[in-house]
Amino acid sequence: MDLPPLQAQPRRARLFLRAATAGRPKLRILIVEDDVEAARYMADDLAGFGLEVTVVHDGVAAAAPGVGDGDYDVLILDRMLPSCDGLTLLRQLRARGVETPALFLTAMGAVADRVAGLEGGGDDYVVKPVDSVELHARIQALARRRVRPAAEASLLVCGDLELDRLNRAARRGGEAIALLPLEYRLLEVLMLARGQTVTRKMLLEQVWNFRFDPRTNIVETHICRLRAKVDGAGRAPLIRTIRGSGYLLAES
Amino acid sequence: MAGGPAMRRLWRRTGVRLLALQAAALILAFGLTGAFARISIERLAEQGMRADVAGETRSLDDEWRRKGAGHLPYTIAKRQRLWHGFEYGLASPAGAGLGGAPQLAALQREGWSTARTATGAVLAYTERLPDGGWLTVGRNLANEQRQLDALTGLLALSGAAGVAICLTTAWLATRWTWGRVDQLSATAAQVAEGRLDVRAPVGRRASSDELDELSLAFNQMLDRIGRLIDELRRVTTDVAHDMRRPLNRVRQKLERLARATEQTPAVAEEVRRLEVDFLEIIHTFDALLQLAEIEGRLRPQSRVDLAAVAERVAEALRPDIEESGRSLETRLEAAAVAGDTDLLAQALANLLENALRHTPEGSRIAVEVQSGDAPRLLVRDDGPGIPAALRERALAPFGRLEASRTTPGSGLGLAIAASVATRHGGRLELGDAGPGLEVAIAFPPGAA
Repeated sequence: MDLPPLQAQPRRARLFLRAATAGRPKLRILIVEDDVEAARYMADDLAGFGLEVTVVHDGVAAAAPGVGDGDYDVLILDRMLPSCDGLTLLRQLRARGVETPALFLTAMGAVADRVAGLEGGGDDYVVKPVDSVELHARIQALARRRVRPAAEASLLVCGDLELDRLNRAARRGGEAIALLPLEYRLLEVLMLARGQTVTRKMLLEQVWNFRFDPRTNIVETHICRLRAKVDGAGRAPLIRTIRGSGYLLAES
Repeated sequence: MAGGPAMRRLWRRTGVRLLALQAAALILAFGLTGAFARISIERLAEQGMRADVAGETRSLDDEWRRKGAGHLPYTIAKRQRLWHGFEYGLASPAGAGLGGAPQLAALQREGWSTARTATGAVLAYTERLPDGGWLTVGRNLANEQRQLDALTGLLALSGAAGVAICLTTAWLATRWTWGRVDQLSATAAQVAEGRLDVRAPVGRRASSDELDELSLAFNQMLDRIGRLIDELRRVTTDVAHDMRRPLNRVRQKLERLARATEQTPAVAEEVRRLEVDFLEIIHTFDALLQLAEIEGRLRPQSRVDLAAVAERVAEALRPDIEESGRSLETRLEAAAVAGDTDLLAQALANLLENALRHTPEGSRIAVEVQSGDAPRLLVRDDGPGIPAALRERALAPFGRLEASRTTPGSGLGLAIAASVATRHGGRLELGDAGPGLEVAIAFPPGAA
């Protein structure tokens, strides 16, 4: 098995970091996880998605200069670590001015834990177990937030599909598509992440504001209806289904 | 009477009836003491008066013996003018009035009597003079009566003041006790709401009484419960943590297995089924942990627009419900409650999911928000319903009924909805929609 190195990468020049973020092909990820086997699998899976992964097994090591504050696009932190938990680690890093987006990947799943994690400087909070598609999609979403800021253009474009966010209107090949409010929101989320996977769970959170999984087909049904409007009538399909319950909007 | 229920409530309180009884006894005791005092003072006054009258009579008798019968009318007239509070009556042996008040002169029978003269009621003593004449000396009662009346008034006044002081003191003491008992019940109510950090107030050790002891015991109980719950929470967290790690690895390995077996469809299908089972386990695991978490949480305080939550969840699930051949209607009245939006949304989603799962095709499902002092959020269907005898069991965790054993679901959906209702101070009610099932989250009065 092809495993990435387990030691911290040497510190890189910050200048290079900032300049390279947008154009660089590979996202650089730091995983702080004490479960050695899980970390290895995770690193391997993410490397399979074309990410450059560094793994550290405890919080103190991650807090050391040149590690947590290194040249990374996203930090993945466990909450319960030997010697120094992930929340303390992130607080220390944030106090030192590290603004790298951080994702907590943890076994602590209570609402209070989630709130503490997000208020403590975390940008996303995922409870174990998680599959690699979900993890990768969330890493991409965090990295995207840095490269394409939230105050994005009022017009989103993907091929011949346009989303006019000022007038909340969609057009495909210049032809208007009538969307219900939920369908509009769904398409907006997919278009903001165009070219990248958005998982069912992310859609539930971002479109419906549900932090739980209603065990029905609400995402599938809405995607199906949206697809009929956007991709229907013999047009080239833009909305694709990704195995592992995710969706992706991109030109074929 | 507007104060009726309040008075009844007051009457039910411990100590009020005791206080009333005490008041009655006190008034009776004061009344009796006053009456005895008055009677004995009256008797003493009368005795004194009789002694005075007897002395005056003896003095006049002496006068008669020393100076003769002819002199007595002058003496009487003189003493009457000087007015020592006595009145006189003198009659000849034949019965003719010789001086003094005619009413007293008319008394011609030896011994004590009462009479009425121009100055009022008089206590009189009549004696026969040695010559057979009649001498009567009387003492006006009006003065004594006034003194006695004043004394009675004073007695009544001090009695009333005494009763009032006693009752006020008792009332204040009782009120003070009530205040402490109220503090204790307020603390208990907060504990019932899920707060284990509150403690009942305990007085200084030196003056501790049985209420302090009760508070102390109550606090010790809370400490113990707090420790147990902390322990339980810690164990739950540890178990969750210890299980999530291997579960996470299983998931990673399953994924790898799925990728590795893509080329052999039969094995790939087995792996896919394994993944479905695995997700089912995770779902139940999450639901169980969540159930424990909701029950341990505080009652949420932020304002939630029930209609907005119901609208959001109903619209999210509408396509699913409609595409499954059922219909969904909403009747949403504006109602706000103190609550947790996420929990309420999940509870409603669970209820709708249940309705979707346990009704036949063609069923009609309705979501309603009823406003009012005690708002209700309810889901109604016209499916088979749940017989009244089985409803209790349907609400228990894993309380799946035989009829639904074969349908998918963790059996925790209703239990979570019920615990969400409880966390909001309300309850989950299962009822008959005639035909069908009506499940309502009933918020407590005053929740709006």
